Amino acid sequence: MSAADPSAAAPAAAADPDGPDAVRLTWNAWPRSKVEASRCVVPLAATVSPARVPDRSTAAPPPLPYLPLRCKPPCSALLNPFARVDFAAKIWICPLCFSRNHFPPHYAAISESNVPAELFPQCSTVEYIVGGAPGAAGAPPPPVFLFVIDTCVIEEELEYVKMAMRKAVALLPEHALVGLVTFGTQVHLHELGFSDLSKIYVFRGTKEISKEQILDQLGLTGAGRSGFPKIPQQPGGPQVNGMHPAATAGVNRFLLPVSECECTLSTLLDELQSDQWPVEAGNRAMRCTGVALSVAAGLLGACMPGTGARIIALLGGPCTEGPGMIVSKDLSEPVRSHKDLDKDAAPHFQKAVKFYDGLAKQLVSQGHVLDVFASALDQVGLAEMKVAIERTGGLVVLSESFGHSVFKDSFKRIFEGGEQSLGLSFNGTIEINCSKDIKVQGIIGPCTSLEKKGAVCADTVVGQGNTTAWKMCGLDRNTSLTVFFDVSPSERSSQPGHQNPHLYIQFVTSYQHPEGQMRIRVTTICRKWVDGSTNTEELVEGFDQETAAVVLARYISLKMEMEEEFDATRWLDRSLIRLCSRFGDYRKDDPSSFSLHSNFSLFPQFMFNLRRSQFVQVFNNSPDETAYFRMLLNRESVTNSVAMIQPSLISFSFDSPPSPVFLDVASIAADRILLLDAYFSVVIFHGMTIAQWRNMGYQNQPEHEQFAQLLQSPHEEAQMIIKGRFPVPRLVVCDQHGSQARFLLAKLNPSATYNSAHDVAPGSDIIFTDDVSFQVFCEHLQRLAVQS
Amino acid sequence: MQVSRAAGPPFAGPPGSGPAPSSAIRAPQGPPPGARPFPGSPPPPSQPSPPFARPGAPLQQQSPPQFGGPPPAMASQPQRPGFGGLPSGPPPQVQRAPFGGPPSGVSPQAPPFGGPPAAVASRSAPLSGPPAAASYQPAPPAAVPQRSPFGGPPAAASAQPPPIGGGPFTAAQAPPFGGPPGSVPQTAPTGGLRPFGGPSAPSQQVQFGAPPPFGGPSAVQPGAQPPPFGASQSQAPPFMGPAGGNVPPSFAPPMWQGQGAVPGGMQPSMRMPVMPGGMPPNALGQGMSHASTPTMPYSPHAQVSTPSKIDPNQIPRPVQETSVIIFETRQGGQAAIPPAASSEFIVKDTGNCNPRLMRCTMNQIPCTGDLLTTSGMPLALLVQPFALPHPSEEPIQLVDFGEMGPIRCSRCKAYINPFMKFIDQGKHFICNLCGFSNDTPREYFCHLGPDGRRRDADERPELCRGSVEFVATKEFLVRDPMPAVYFFLIDVSMNAVNTGATAAACSAISQALSDLPEGPRTMVGIGTFDSAIHFYSLRRAQQQPLMLIVPDIQDVYTPLQTDLILPISECHENLEQLLESIPVMFENNRIADSAFGAAMKASFLAMKSTGGKLLVFQSVLPSVGIGSLSAREAEGRSNTSTGDKEAHKLLQPVDKTLKTMAQEFAEYQVCVDVFLSTQSYVDIASISVVPNTTGGRVYYYYPFSALSDPAKLYNDLRWNISRPQGFEAVMRVRCSQGLQVQDYFGNFCKRVPTDIDLPVIDSDKAIMVTFKHDDKLQENSECAFQCALLYTTVFGQRRIRVINLSLSCTNMLSSLFRYADLETQFTYVVKQAANGIPSLPLSQVRDQVTSTCINILQSYRKYCASVSSSGQLILPEALKLLPLYTLALTKSVGLRNDGRLDDRSYWVSIVSSVSVLLAIPLVFPRMIALHDLTSRDDDDSLVPSPLTLNSENIHDDGIYLLENGEDGFIYVGNSVNPLTLEQIFGVSSLAGLPNQLVLEPFDNELSRKVNEVVNEIRRQRCSYLRLRLCKKGDPSGDFFRSLLVEDKAPGGLSYVEFLVHVHRQIQSKMT
Repeated sequence: MSAADPSAAAPAAAADPDGPDAVRLTWNAWPRSKVEASRCVVPLAATVSPARVPDRSTAAPPPLPYLPLRCKPPCSALLNPFARVDFAAKIWICPLCFSRNHFPPHYAAISESNVPAELFPQCSTVEYIVGGAPGAAGAPPPPVFLFVIDTCVIEEELEYVKMAMRKAVALLPEHALVGLVTFGTQVHLHELGFSDLSKIYVFRGTKEISKEQILDQLGLTGAGRSGFPKIPQQPGGPQVNGMHPAATAGVNRFLLPVSECECTLSTLLDELQSDQWPVEAGNRAMRCTGVALSVAAGLLGACMPGTGARIIALLGGPCTEGPGMIVSKDLSEPVRSHKDLDKDAAPHFQKAVKFYDGLAKQLVSQGHVLDVFASALDQVGLAEMKVAIERTGGLVVLSESFGHSVFKDSFKRIFEGGEQSLGLSFNGTIEINCSKDIKVQGIIGPCTSLEKKGAVCADTVVGQGNTTAWKMCGLDRNTSLTVFFDVSPSERSSQPGHQNPHLYIQFVTSYQHPEGQMRIRVTTICRKWVDGSTNTEELVEGFDQETAAVVLARYISLKMEMEEEFDATRWLDRSLIRLCSRFGDYRKDDPSSFSLHSNFSLFPQFMFNLRRSQFVQVFNNSPDETAYFRMLLNRESVTNSVAMIQPSLISFSFDSPPSPVFLDVASIAADRILLLDAYFSVVIFHGMTIAQWRNMGYQNQPEHEQFAQLLQSPHEEAQMIIKGRFPVPRLVVCDQHGSQARFLLAKLNPSATYNSAHDVAPGSDIIFTDDVSFQVFCEHLQRLAVQS
Repeated sequence: MQVSRAAGPPFAGPPGSGPAPSSAIRAPQGPPPGARPFPGSPPPPSQPSPPFARPGAPLQQQSPPQFGGPPPAMASQPQRPGFGGLPSGPPPQVQRAPFGGPPSGVSPQAPPFGGPPAAVASRSAPLSGPPAAASYQPAPPAAVPQRSPFGGPPAAASAQPPPIGGGPFTAAQAPPFGGPPGSVPQTAPTGGLRPFGGPSAPSQQVQFGAPPPFGGPSAVQPGAQPPPFGASQSQAPPFMGPAGGNVPPSFAPPMWQGQGAVPGGMQPSMRMPVMPGGMPPNALGQGMSHASTPTMPYSPHAQVSTPSKIDPNQIPRPVQETSVIIFETRQGGQAAIPPAASSEFIVKDTGNCNPRLMRCTMNQIPCTGDLLTTSGMPLALLVQPFALPHPSEEPIQLVDFGEMGPIRCSRCKAYINPFMKFIDQGKHFICNLCGFSNDTPREYFCHLGPDGRRRDADERPELCRGSVEFVATKEFLVRDPMPAVYFFLIDVSMNAVNTGATAAACSAISQALSDLPEGPRTMVGIGTFDSAIHFYSLRRAQQQPLMLIVPDIQDVYTPLQTDLILPISECHENLEQLLESIPVMFENNRIADSAFGAAMKASFLAMKSTGGKLLVFQSVLPSVGIGSLSAREAEGRSNTSTGDKEAHKLLQPVDKTLKTMAQEFAEYQVCVDVFLSTQSYVDIASISVVPNTTGGRVYYYYPFSALSDPAKLYNDLRWNISRPQGFEAVMRVRCSQGLQVQDYFGNFCKRVPTDIDLPVIDSDKAIMVTFKHDDKLQENSECAFQCALLYTTVFGQRRIRVINLSLSCTNMLSSLFRYADLETQFTYVVKQAANGIPSLPLSQVRDQVTSTCINILQSYRKYCASVSSSGQLILPEALKLLPLYTLALTKSVGLRNDGRLDDRSYWVSIVSSVSVLLAIPLVFPRMIALHDLTSRDDDDSLVPSPLTLNSENIHDDGIYLLENGEDGFIYVGNSVNPLTLEQIFGVSSLAGLPNQLVLEPFDNELSRKVNEVVNEIRRQRCSYLRLRLCKKGDPSGDFFRSLLVEDKAPGGLSYVEFLVHVHRQIQSKMT
C-alpha cells in the first residue's frame, strides 16, 4: 500500500457527498450481530445534517403544508417512501415495525396514480410546515438576539466591538428583537424600552444568582413586583405567541424590535465605555462572564420561553470572578493549561464546568442558544463553556482580537441573509426511529438529550444517549450530528426466514425555520443487512472512509475528554491495525503482501494525520483552543471535518493547472505556490523563487501578466474557501523560510527532516522534527497488520 | 452685666450713626414711618419703659435665646425676600443694616443674619423659591419700600433712633433696653454693645484669616469685609418663608461663629453676671449673708406654703428674661456662674468656655462621690461643640502650632489650656487634668511674669481662652481630610409618589443644592429606591443621566465606583434636571415596597471611600430587603395579652440589623439623616438607630401633607446642610483626677470606651457626658473638664476644637444646690428618661423621673433647709422649677400613655441629641396669645410673654400658639371674632379653617404680627415649626389642651396637686 492519491478525494468532495438525505454512514451495509459489528472496528454510526439545504442542483421537494402521518405508538415513525401501501384498503405498512395503519379520511383520494409527496421515492427526505399556515394564530415569532458584551477590554478593542455591533444592528431585520447586556466587574442589563434616560440594571459579578432571583429582581415574576415605571404597554407591541403578561412587559422593557430601539442602541453604543472599575496593578480585570450569561439566560427565560432566541456573547478575556471563574484575578496565577487539567491542578475548572452545565440545562429547557465570540490573546474559558455552547447548538468563534477578520467577518455572517445566510434555525428536536434490532447509543454533536427513554436506547452510551429524542436549541445548515448505533438482534428476529434484508432508520427533526414557521423534516434511509461473518466484501463495499475517519475523530475526542489517562494515539494505532487485519488483503506475516481495498485506501493516512492533529496532540494548544477545535469538529459536515483532520494542499505553478498534491514536505518547491486548507486556517505559501519574483515586482510588469495571474489565483481560491465557511478561517500568506511558514510546515508529512536532509531535492524543504513520517508509519502498520 | 434687651440685639445703626443717640435718629434708609407695624405704640425711644425690669433685683426672665442676636424675624410682608436680602429682594435702600452695620452696599449680598442667599420663598408653591424666584412675587405696594430685610419693622427703625439697639426686636413699643433704667446709664447699653455689632469692628470679623470653617454660601473671602456679624460666614438661614411661599423667611439663625466682638468695648457696661433666678449669687443658700435682699416673694428659697394653702399664683413659674446678659466666663480667678441657657447672653471667654459649648449640671463640683450621692443631683456635662454663638461673641480662635502640633500633656494627652500651670520660670508645666509635670518644649518656652503667668499668656488664645481650635498635624490624619459628600436618597415607591413626598423631597433638594458649601470638595450623589435601588451617574459628558439599578436588595452593592458622586460644580445642572424629572418618571410607579435598609447600605457602599452625609427621604414602612421592618404596631395592638408590660419592647429596635449597619456606616464616616414624610407607622424605634448611631437625626412629618409640609422639609434640609458642622469627628472628654467619665449620651458611635466617633457633628447636636468619682477632689482646688473634638471642616481642614471648663470643688452641699444649673440638670433628667423609655414600662419611667425630683428636693430639705417649718415645701432657689418641669416631663409626648408609638420613638430619638436650650421647651412648651398681638402694648420683645400653661388662660374668643421647638399648635377658640380669623387665616368662619395649615401672610397688621412672631420663634429654635391647627371641640383641640401641663389631666396631676404630692413624699421620707 502506498500513500493514497490525494486527487482521489477531490472528486468525492466535488459532488454532494452527503446526498439529498444529508446522511452519511460509516458502513452502508451492516453486520447482523453484535460480534460482527465489533469486528468491524469502526463503529456503526451516521452523520446527519438535519437542517441542511441541499444544493440547488438537486431539486428538493417543496415543503408540504400539512401534518405528517405517524405510525401507531410505540413506533410513531412517519409515513415514508419505504412504506408499503395498500391503495385499495387505504392501508400503509410501516417499514420499521411492520404495523398496519389506516390512512385517515383526508387521504381518501389516495391511489396508485395519486400519491402524496411523502411517498415519492425521491422524497426520502421531506419537510412539512406545521403552524404558520394561513389562518394559524399569530405571526411567526421574530428572531431574538441578546447581545452580551464584555467591557473589560482596552478602548481599541471596544471600538472594534462597537463597530461590529453597529454593522450587526444594521443587518438585523426590523422586527428582530434585540437586548443588550454589558459586563465587566458587574453586569449591566440595559432597559432599552425606557426613554427618559439610560436605564441599567446592575448585577454584582461575584454572586451566583438563580433564574428566579433574576426574574424577581427585574420585576418579571408577575406577582409582587409588578408595575414598573413608565412601561409603555402598547397593545401593538411585539406580541409573541403564548407569552404571559409579565413576559410581554419584559419584552417591552428589555427586548425591543430593532425598528424601535435603533436610536437607543446607537446612543448606548456610543456611550459605552470600558469597565469603570479600577484594575489593581498585578491583577487581571474583574470580569464576571458567568453572571452575565446567567442574567442573559434568565431574561430570555422570562421573556421568551420556548421561542428561539440567541445569546450572543462577545468575550475579551477570562472570567475572573463569580460563577464560571476560570482563573483568579491575580496575574501571578496563570490560566490553566492541559497539563494543569491533567494533573488536576486547575482549581476552578470543575466548578466552572458545573456552572456552565447548569446554564446549559437552563438554556436547553428554554430553547435558547448561546453563541460565543471569544477574541482575546488570553484564554477566555471556552473549555469550561463548551458544554453550554455545544448543548445549545451555539456558534463559537475564537480569534485574537475583535479587530481580526476572523471575528469581524464571522460575526457579520450570522446576521446576513440570502445566499450567505447560515440558515440559523431554532428550537430543533430530533427523534430517531429505527428498525428492530438497531439501538441508538447516543449522539456526539451540538444537541442535548431530552431524556426520552424508548425501545431504541442501547445499553452502552456514547455522548448524549439513553434517549430517543434530542434537543437542538440552535442549528443551521451545517449542523451535523453523529449518531452511534448498536446492533442487538433479539431472539425472534435472528430466526432465519423471518429476516428482512433491509434496515431502516428515520430521523425526524422539527425546528423553527429561519423564516419563523415550525417545520418537520423527515429523513428515512434504507440500508442492507449483511448476513454472516464471511461476507466481508459487502461490508468493504459499504465502507465510507471519510465518514469513518471523522466519526473516529469525534469518538476519540469524546473519549479523551471523558476518560482519564486515555492514550488516544495508542488506541488509534490499535484500531487501525485491527481494521487493517480484518479488511486488508495479505498473507500472514508477510508485510509486503499487504494491500487495501480502495474504500480503505485513504484511511491509514487519515489516521496518520489524526494522530498528529490538534484533536489528539492537545498539548500544543490551550484548553480553549482544543475545546474550540473539537466543538467545530463535532458540528461540521464530514467534508469539512475531514479538512480539519487532513488538510488539503493545492499546488499552483506555471507547469500545470492547480492540482492537489501530497500533504508532504516534498510538495514544497521553489517555483510553486501552495494553498493549504486546514479548515481553521488557509495558508498561501510562496516558494522561494516565486517570492523573489514577487518581491522584485514582476507581477506589475505587463510582460509578466501570467505571473501576476499565478500569484492571484491561490488568493481567489482561498477567498472561495473562506466565503463558504463559518467561522471564517484565518488567512495566512507566507513565503518559504518565512516565519509564518510554520503554519504550513506543521501540517506536512515530515518525509524529509533534518535527519534525512541529505537526500532532499533542491528547492524543497525539510522539517525540524523527530516525528515519524507517513512512510515509516505505513511500514509499521503493514508489519503489525499481518502479524498472526 | 446686664444690658437692656433692646440694646441686646446688636443692631447697630448705620455706620455713620455712631454712638447711639437716644433721640430718634432715623436711619438713612429708614422706612417711612407709615410702615410702622404697631401704630400707636412706638415707644419713645428715649424713654425706656422697662416693663419687666425689676428694680433692685433684676430678675432675669426667661427670654428667648438669641443666638445671634440677629434681629428677630421680621416682617411678615409677603414680598420680603428672605432674610438674606437677596439682591433680587427688596430694594436695597430699604434695608437697614441689621447690625449696624455694613455699608449698605454690602448688605444686600451679605445679609447680616446669615441671610441665605437664597431668597425665600416667593413662589406660590409652598417651598421657597430659589433666589431668583424671590423677586417675582408681586409685592403689596405698601409693604415693599419699608421692609427692612433684616430688621424689625420699619417703624422701629425710624422711630428708634438708637442705631444700635434699634432693634427690630423691640421694635415698636419696646424700650431700647429692658434693664433697670436706673441702674444703667442710658447710653451704657448702647455703648457697650456697639462694639459687638458696630461697624467699627470689621477687622475682627475675619476668622483666623482663613476661610470660615463653615462658611455660608456667600463665602466671603477672608480679606473681604464681611458684614459685621459675620454674615458672610454665616450660614444661610435654613428657614425660609412659611409655606405660603411669599412670606419672608422667618428667621435666620445667626452665624454660629460670632464675630466682631471687641472685648474692650464692653467694659463700660460690664456688670455682674446674674444668676438665672435673678438673685445675686450669695442670696441663696443658708447661712450666707445677703449682699442684697432680693425682693422676691420667697426667700431665700422658693417656698410654697403647705398644700392646703398653696396659692396657684404664688407657685414658681419661669419668668422671662428680657435683657441681654454679658457674661465673662471667669472672674477673679474663679469660674463665673453662667446665665440660664434660655436667656440671652453674650459671652466673653476669659478662660472657661462659652457655656453654650459646654455646661455642667452644677457649677461647683462635689469633692466626694458621697456628697454627690447625698445631693441626689446628677453630675454631667452637656457639650454642644458647634453651638451657635451669639453674633456679638468673639469667634473661637484658631491656633497653628505648625509641625510641632498642639502642646499636650505627655501623660494624659490633654491639650494645653489656660489652667495648665507653668513653673520653674516656665521650663515646666503641670497638667491641670492629671497633675503630671511636663517639660515645656523649647519652641514654646516663655518667661513667667511677676504674677506667675507666662508673659505671653494673654496673647496666646490657648492660654487665655476656654475654647480654642488647633490646626491638626499629620499625626491626627489617618487619611486626607474627607471632602464634603452629600448623597440624597429618595423613596419613590407608590405611596411616596402618590402622597407628594417624592416631589417634595426632590424640590427641597433641588433648592437646597445652592446652599451646599461651595468649592471643589463638595460632592453630591443621588439615588432613588422602591423595591430596587436606582443610582444615577451624572457624568457631564453624557447627554442624559445614566440610571443604574441595583435589584438585589438582600445583598446590595454599589453599581459603580466612580461617577455616582461628583463635584457639585460638574453636575449641578444635570442634577437639577434629574430632580425635576424623578417625580414624573415614577408617577405611575405601582411598586408599594420600599427597600430602605438596602438602599442605605448600597448608598453607603458608594460613599464608603470618602464618607459623608447620607440624606434619606423615606415615606413608608421599609418592607423589603435587608433591614426591612414589619408593622409591629399593629401586632402590638392585636396582641393585647402581653399588655402594657411588654409595650415598651415596641420602642426598641426590632433587631440588630440596622444597628450593625449603622456601626459600619459610622466606621466609614457616613452620617445618615432620615426625613420621614409618612402617613402611617414606619417604626421609628428601629429606623432611628441609624441616624442616632451615625451622628444624624430623624426628621418626622406625620401625617405628611403635600400642602403644608414641603416648606418645612425644605427648611429642615437647608439647615441640615448649611448649619455649622464638622466631618469625621472624634471626641473625648477628659477630666481632673478624682473624676472619671462614666458614659456618653447622644448621637454617635462608640467603639472604644474613651472616645466617641461622630461621622458628622453639627451645631444642633449636644452630647451628654456623665461623671463619677473615683477619688476625692481637694476642696478649694479646681476640677477641670476638657473636651477635645478632632474634626474636618466642610472645606477639608482638619482641626481640633478644645473646650475647657474649670470649676471649683466644694464640700458643702448647700453650695451644690446654690450653684446647681437647673436647665442642664433637667436636660439630664429628660435624657435619662428617654433612655429608659425603650426598656421600661412607661409608668416606671415616670416614677423614676418623679423620684429623681423628690430625692433632690428632699436632700435639700433635709440638709440645707431643715430649720424651716415642716409644713412648708422648701425648694432650692436654683431648682425651684424642677417640680414644674418634672411634671411637664411626665406629661410629655414621650412619657404620656396615649401617644402613638412612632411619636414616642421620635421623641426619644430627638431627646438623644437635644441641647439644653431646646430640651426645656420640648417638654415645657411656650404658649402665647395670637389674637391680641396688635393690642399688647407693654412688651418689648417680638414674642409676647408666654402664658401660664393652664386652661384658665385659654379663652373661647382667643387664638393661641403653643410651641415646643418642633411643632407649633395654633388653637382657635370657638367664638373667635370672625374678623380675627379673616385677618390671620383668610377665612371668614371657623368652618372655613383648613385642616392643613399654611400660615399665609395677609396684608394686615395682625397677620404681619403673627407671621413675625412665628418667624421669630423659628429663628430662636433653629427649627421651622410644623404648624397645626387645633380647634376647640375637635380631637385636635383636646390634644392641644393635653399640652397644658399645669392642668389636671386624666393621667396626671395638676401643678398644684403635683407640688402637694412632692411635698407629701418629702415629708414621708423625712419622718
